[in-house]
Amino acid sequence: MGGGAAMSAGTFAKRPLLSRHLLDKAAVWIVLFILLIAAGFVSEAFLKLNYLGNLVRQAAPIGITAVGVTFVMILRGVDLSVGAIVSMSAVICALVMDGKAENLWLAIGVTCATGSLIGLANGLLIAYGRVSSFILTLGMSIVVYGLVQMGTGGTARGIVSPGFREFLNDRIGNVVPTLAICFVIAVVVGIFVQSQTRFGRNVYLVGANPEAARLAGIPAIQTTVIAYCFSGLFAGLGGIALLARTGVSGTNPGAGMEFDVLAAVILGGTTFAGGRGGVGSTFAGVLVLFIALNLANVAGLPFAAQLTIKGIIIIAASAAHAWIGRSGGDRTE
Amino acid sequence: MALLETHDLTRRFPGVVALRAVNFTARAGEVHAVCGANGAGKSTLMNVLSGTIAPSSGSVLVNGEKVNFITPAEARSAGIAIVYQEFSSIPELTVADNIYLGQEFRKGFGVVDHKRASSEAHTLMERFRIDLDPDAVVGTLGVADRQLLELARALSNDAQVLILDEPTGVLSLSEQRNLFEVIRTLRDRGMLILYISHRLEEIFEIADTVSIMRDGELVATREKGSLDRKELVRLMTGHEVSDTEAIVDPLASGKTVLTIDGITSDDSRILIAEGEILGLAGLVGAGRTSIARRLAGLRPRTGLTVQLKGKPLPSDIAGVLKAGLVYLTEDRKQDGIFGPLSIPMNATAAALDHFSSAGFLARRRERSQAATLLEQLRLVASSLDMPITSLSGGNQQKVLFARALLAQPKVLICDEPTRGVDVAAREDIYRLLRDLSKRGVAIIMISSELDELIAMCHRIAIVRQGVVHSVVANEDLDEHKLVLAATGSDAA
Repeated sequence: MGGGAAMSAGTFAKRPLLSRHLLDKAAVWIVLFILLIAAGFVSEAFLKLNYLGNLVRQAAPIGITAVGVTFVMILRGVDLSVGAIVSMSAVICALVMDGKAENLWLAIGVTCATGSLIGLANGLLIAYGRVSSFILTLGMSIVVYGLVQMGTGGTARGIVSPGFREFLNDRIGNVVPTLAICFVIAVVVGIFVQSQTRFGRNVYLVGANPEAARLAGIPAIQTTVIAYCFSGLFAGLGGIALLARTGVSGTNPGAGMEFDVLAAVILGGTTFAGGRGGVGSTFAGVLVLFIALNLANVAGLPFAAQLTIKGIIIIAASAAHAWIGRSGGDRTE
Repeated sequence: MALLETHDLTRRFPGVVALRAVNFTARAGEVHAVCGANGAGKSTLMNVLSGTIAPSSGSVLVNGEKVNFITPAEARSAGIAIVYQEFSSIPELTVADNIYLGQEFRKGFGVVDHKRASSEAHTLMERFRIDLDPDAVVGTLGVADRQLLELARALSNDAQVLILDEPTGVLSLSEQRNLFEVIRTLRDRGMLILYISHRLEEIFEIADTVSIMRDGELVATREKGSLDRKELVRLMTGHEVSDTEAIVDPLASGKTVLTIDGITSDDSRILIAEGEILGLAGLVGAGRTSIARRLAGLRPRTGLTVQLKGKPLPSDIAGVLKAGLVYLTEDRKQDGIFGPLSIPMNATAAALDHFSSAGFLARRRERSQAATLLEQLRLVASSLDMPITSLSGGNQQKVLFARALLAQPKVLICDEPTRGVDVAAREDIYRLLRDLSKRGVAIIMISSELDELIAMCHRIAIVRQGVVHSVVANEDLDEHKLVLAATGSDAA
């Protein structure tokens, strides 16, 4: 269209380099960068590849779990059952492995399936029952903890397959830990799903405005169910990663992990407002959280103080994103 | 002497100059309309005057004295009150309690004196001749009464200047008349009323003086007497705008697209032809939106039978969309825009079937098709990647039109398509609707602006109490007859 072409130069004009909108997306990366520099000042070791690789490795269980939770949070939901699912997955995985190499893949399959199943239950109850995701997943977390206690009888059971720990705790090329790579793969998969698939788009649409999504014919129930399933699946994988790191399942290794996951996701900018943030930002959020805790550790702060720091991070991050979001973009006219 | 003046008032936002050295003057005892396209800067100007936004440079003078408001509260105590488009009242409280919200009368021990509030509110209503019961619970009131409440609230602070931002957006004709009465009373008492609107009819009816803004500048301030409609539109848009173009007759094609049974008062069937624009006229609350939403599958279709091109229309939204009936909401914010998402994501939301296969998105094609269409619709945006909330109301509406068009409609239902849309964008939307009509799309257009329906539609259906009472061909209609029919005064 001739008229349109003539208009085009003016219609999409240049804009300032760092708008509030961009700031919202970049905030967590800026914080990460600053933290890394600060960490470098504290100790040069921080900036070594070895240390960074180790950091990502440490973060893998929480990070992998956070990938799934990000989808739920974009949808305006929350999944507090992931800590319990991680615990359950570590226990089930170790039990099925039973110390035998041939059980390895079966164990991984069973673990992923149970994680997804619990996510499916979460999703169905939330989508059809219209229950608050906060209450429902909190309840589900207690149910799952209870089941794990019943199943283990309160003591650590199960033995991991030989080679399982060795492989995942190895370093590829003697530098990059395998677990770190698993985390990165989970993030890449998450980013792909979020940006390249119908499901990922539906998550953003329903999260941004459920009513508008309904008018646009987006299947909200299906999207919700799949998102919680996804969250359960990734929590299952997070449990396997945790098992690989620690080697023993314990009875409740994922206790309280949901809050670390929540902190990381919110840090990344996937707030309860819905339709914002994403897996990439969550990745940065996980790293920020771990570097901050590591710094606190190096500074010699006791565990209790570290907990407080974690809490403050959640509060500060959600406040900051709310502030950026409120003043960002919206015009007065 | 001027009651309110600004000197070289400038306000910059990142990348945008919202106000450019504005020298604005207004007297006491006048209704001073401020009009302009969306993004022209009128709301920014009002926000500066009411202390919501600080100016980047320049000054504001009240009664010749320089003032410097940092908060809305300071502006209020200097006598400047603003009534927003959106209501901020608390539905659970009474009118009186809402009026004195935050400045409650106390009996001691911090106990709120509801009686006193009620009697003060009574006095206030009487003084300004506002017809509103102070003891009514706000949740039970209609929009018009809620608006009067907002007004009363502003007046409770002895305001000298009252700013009304698009006050008639949701009012019916009689409610609007009522509001204008109140405004005139206030003016005659010596208040200055700044009236922001894009509805030309209203401006000519209520304003004494008109200031026109464009691109952040004050283009002109005129007495109403020295201004006509054409001139006003020219000043607002900066170019001549053809107002109403002739309609080509589509009924000639004779092909029926939509058949609706069960919505007329005499059980007759309504047929809508290819390329026809059928208007739904009626008062706010007459049930026009309800009919539209039932057609679109958003509400149970009780008693309604609908066929699209001879086939029964599915009852679920996704099925309706797939069959080719698209509904464009009247409430952009509520169920229209996806606030935090980018412009293309907003545009393609209802057409993802066309932009994906086997669950994977074809993002490049999605983006380029959305961009092409939006350019044809003359979207004004600084960048496509910005959230849709960064656009003005008219441009948001264009994105929603793009969403409807990408879904390839055979029937398009647009509900108040020009609400909160500036004059230039409005003409673009009219042009688009005529274009679609020429291409054979059947259009059902709901509007509270009768002149708009008369200018656009081939036939107009009059809706009362959820039922279509009569369908009239455009030639036989004028605004007066429509008003009578809609209010039921023709029944006798």
